Amino acid sequence: MFTESTVTFIALGAIFAFSFYAVLNAGQLSLGQAGFASVAAYTSVLLAPDPDVVGDLPALLAALVIGTTAGTVAAVVLGLPTMHLRGVFLAIATLGFAEAVRIFLLNAEWTGGAQGMTVPKVVTPAIAWAVLAVVAYWFWRSAPTRYGRALEAIREDELAAGAMGIDVGRHRLGAFATAGAVAGLYGVLWAYTVRLVGPADFGFTAAIDGLVTAMVGGTTVFIGPVVGSTFLTMIPEIQRALGVEAGWIRPFVAGLLLLVVILFLPGGLAGRIPRRLRVPELDGADGEGGAVGARERAPRGDVVARLTGLSKDYGGVHAVRDVDLEIHSGELLGLIGPNGAGKTTLVNMISGLVAPSSGEARVLGVAAGRTPVHRVAAAGVSRTFQHSKLFGRLSALENVLVGGHLVTRPTLVRRLLWLPSARRDERAALTHAARCLDRVGMLDAASTRANALSYGDQRRLEIARALAADPSLLILDEPAAGMNQVEAGELARLIRSLADDGLAVLLIEHNVGLVRQVCDRVVVLDFGEIIASGAPSAVAADPRVVEAYLGTEA
Amino acid sequence: MQHRALALFAATALTVSLTACTSEGGGTADGGLEGEGTGDDCTIGSPVPVGAALSLTGAAGSYGESQQKGLELALEQLNAKGGVEYELTVEDDQTDPRQGIAVFEQLTADDGASVIIGPTLSTGAFQAQPIAQEEGVPVLAISNTVDGITAQGDYIFRDSLTESQVIPQTVAAATAEYGLEKVVLMYANDDALAEAGGEVFTGALDAEGIEVADTLAFSVADTDFRALLTEAKAAEPDALVVSSLIEAAIPLVTQARELGLDVPIIGGNGFNNPKLMADAGDAAEGVVVGAAWNSGSDTPENTAFLADFEEMHGTRPDQFAAQAYTGLMLIDTAVRASCSGERDAIKEGLAGIEGVPTVLGELTINDERDAEHEAVVQVVDGGEFAVLD
Repeated sequence: MFTESTVTFIALGAIFAFSFYAVLNAGQLSLGQAGFASVAAYTSVLLAPDPDVVGDLPALLAALVIGTTAGTVAAVVLGLPTMHLRGVFLAIATLGFAEAVRIFLLNAEWTGGAQGMTVPKVVTPAIAWAVLAVVAYWFWRSAPTRYGRALEAIREDELAAGAMGIDVGRHRLGAFATAGAVAGLYGVLWAYTVRLVGPADFGFTAAIDGLVTAMVGGTTVFIGPVVGSTFLTMIPEIQRALGVEAGWIRPFVAGLLLLVVILFLPGGLAGRIPRRLRVPELDGADGEGGAVGARERAPRGDVVARLTGLSKDYGGVHAVRDVDLEIHSGELLGLIGPNGAGKTTLVNMISGLVAPSSGEARVLGVAAGRTPVHRVAAAGVSRTFQHSKLFGRLSALENVLVGGHLVTRPTLVRRLLWLPSARRDERAALTHAARCLDRVGMLDAASTRANALSYGDQRRLEIARALAADPSLLILDEPAAGMNQVEAGELARLIRSLADDGLAVLLIEHNVGLVRQVCDRVVVLDFGEIIASGAPSAVAADPRVVEAYLGTEA
Repeated sequence: MQHRALALFAATALTVSLTACTSEGGGTADGGLEGEGTGDDCTIGSPVPVGAALSLTGAAGSYGESQQKGLELALEQLNAKGGVEYELTVEDDQTDPRQGIAVFEQLTADDGASVIIGPTLSTGAFQAQPIAQEEGVPVLAISNTVDGITAQGDYIFRDSLTESQVIPQTVAAATAEYGLEKVVLMYANDDALAEAGGEVFTGALDAEGIEVADTLAFSVADTDFRALLTEAKAAEPDALVVSSLIEAAIPLVTQARELGLDVPIIGGNGFNNPKLMADAGDAAEGVVVGAAWNSGSDTPENTAFLADFEEMHGTRPDQFAAQAYTGLMLIDTAVRASCSGERDAIKEGLAGIEGVPTVLGELTINDERDAEHEAVVQVVDGGEFAVLD
């Protein structure tokens, strides 16, 4: 049953599945991997030295280097124009690329057309598994790093990931290039295993095979592709060994098994393997806190955000009209107004998610809305969202770790090399995240998945995540929504203490009581315009505010 | 959950070890493959294990099924004859190179087959047959028509004529019949067989001094050929030469007739299928196909084969079935030549086959280990293949 080829093909299938895992783990659905693999296979067969001349292993190593490079280059060239595509659209675009490659290979002179090219068989099971070990090592070591967590965050919620300072475009391209490199390895190994490389081996069916292997194995644990490939490769072998008669019954049974796995194990075969992340103990003393770089804050009283004539129109609707506003550090500014007053549009412009139609928002030295979101975040803006945008399948602690993206150091390369400093940095990042969780009183829930938390806890987790970025301007979009009286009171104390620490806090809230209780200054927005501004008590007495909230006397 | 996972693991482990046991016990007795007597009197103690790696499912599934039927008939007849018993293991490569290689590895294992038949497709042959060559297990290919198959090594034989053997005869016969001077060549360029056939046609047309007015490529998956056929028609050819698999051949032929392109259509091996007349109907009239098997041949072997096949399977055989049937018969001849079911004895036996009467005609294995026998050029006439004289 475990013949040489079976063992080899388990490894090959797993490597190919890893090239899908690389992008699925970052929330991208690409079907171009078969194209990358064929580019790599053909390029390496064309350029690599003859095994008969230089020996098997040197020739294969040269081919692997050439193939990986070719796969990566193909992925980057395809990725640059397509990375802004999402979901099915990206799948279609990449599928188009793979098909174009296949047609090219069929028609080019040097490829041997449909009959393909003969390739010496060099790959042994040991070689295949050695390459698989390298690939698996990469995904194993990279998962719990700043880079790995950023990819997962993008998968869970791209918008929130950007608001945490993650350069979404670059990370997505990185994942795509990784997929290209791994698919390249697969292409080369395939060619040097099956003796004949033809375009038919890299068609649509191959792409679907790889995708199915990755999905069956599971796309959230690095071991998933290996499990998936073992399962799918062994089904025909086991059936043969059991003496199931050759013919339609075998693919039929294989299809049924696949159906059962997808129905009953939606996370894949490896999806039930728990993710472990040790929650560090906070003993009060700042043992290793120094590794997390605290960012410079503007001195108390400085202007952190200045809005001048800021407007936003959606067609004929003026969501925000000509708003002038300054926010100072150490100030707790409340922003209130009736539903549809334009509050969220205004904060989306300040945090850089929405570009203004006219006017300018200068926030911490950058023009928000004219610069990418992650740059605005890097300047020191952090926010929560009106509707929770947590990374649902990550634990509470991991959510906060992603929040700390901007203040922690990249550890990927050092983790791959097992440098002790990487371990130190990771532990410091964990301690930092745990402290932020502790500050909102949620350390007990550190290992709970975000989407399993209660609504109130989710709001508090969002604040912890935003705090982890060590911001100069913190924007809280209705943080008390869904909280009871006691929870809201605790939240009020927390927000007040943040402003007292010197942060500029912009609080959007419906709970006018809460705003009056904690805010230094209140701005009232109605129909996109500021209708009142000043001390909470003065604003509350303003007749225009009363009118906006309660309507005019008939 | 933990318990269930454990139980599942235990069950799997048990199954694996059980199957391992049975396969260990299933080997052939040592030396039992050497028999006594010669030729028809040869008696061998143990059954001779024969492996067949066919594409029973997947893209080439229809061919493999046909081959399996041919082998089953031959097996029944040989075992009824007595003296030598054959144990046939038919394995499915699912038209997948990975499966093809795995199947060949299992068949070439120490307790595997004495001789292997297959695989169905030439691409699969290039990927899997070297394994048998390395292990010293003779292979008899029964449907590979591409050049270079037997050049892979001295253990690789075939009983199927190559396109290079059949196509030049087809072109010559058609030229003599229709006085061809100018043709249009069409071929599927995304299938290994069809593309190779196109190349052979080019060479054969060139050798006959026939002008190729236009060469048009298409995909085996295509179903609409009107644009290409209009282009072909504009060249006013004396005939249309097509290399394709049967799936594309049917719409191509039908649409050619619809467009009023009534010249003879000369097809490659892919056209050699009763489906052509069944599905294309009247449009198939006048299609010329070279074949390795003359279904209308009245030799005693062929007459008996036609009758027995129809009795066993209820359908009429095609060329794939005839070549598969012949394959097992040739293996029997090879085994009986030295009265041994050992791998090397069968290899020698196959190499020595000369002038053996088969359903394909008198067959000889030449020095390149390729088959030599008479090919037949057929033309569709009244819904039947008839010999083109």
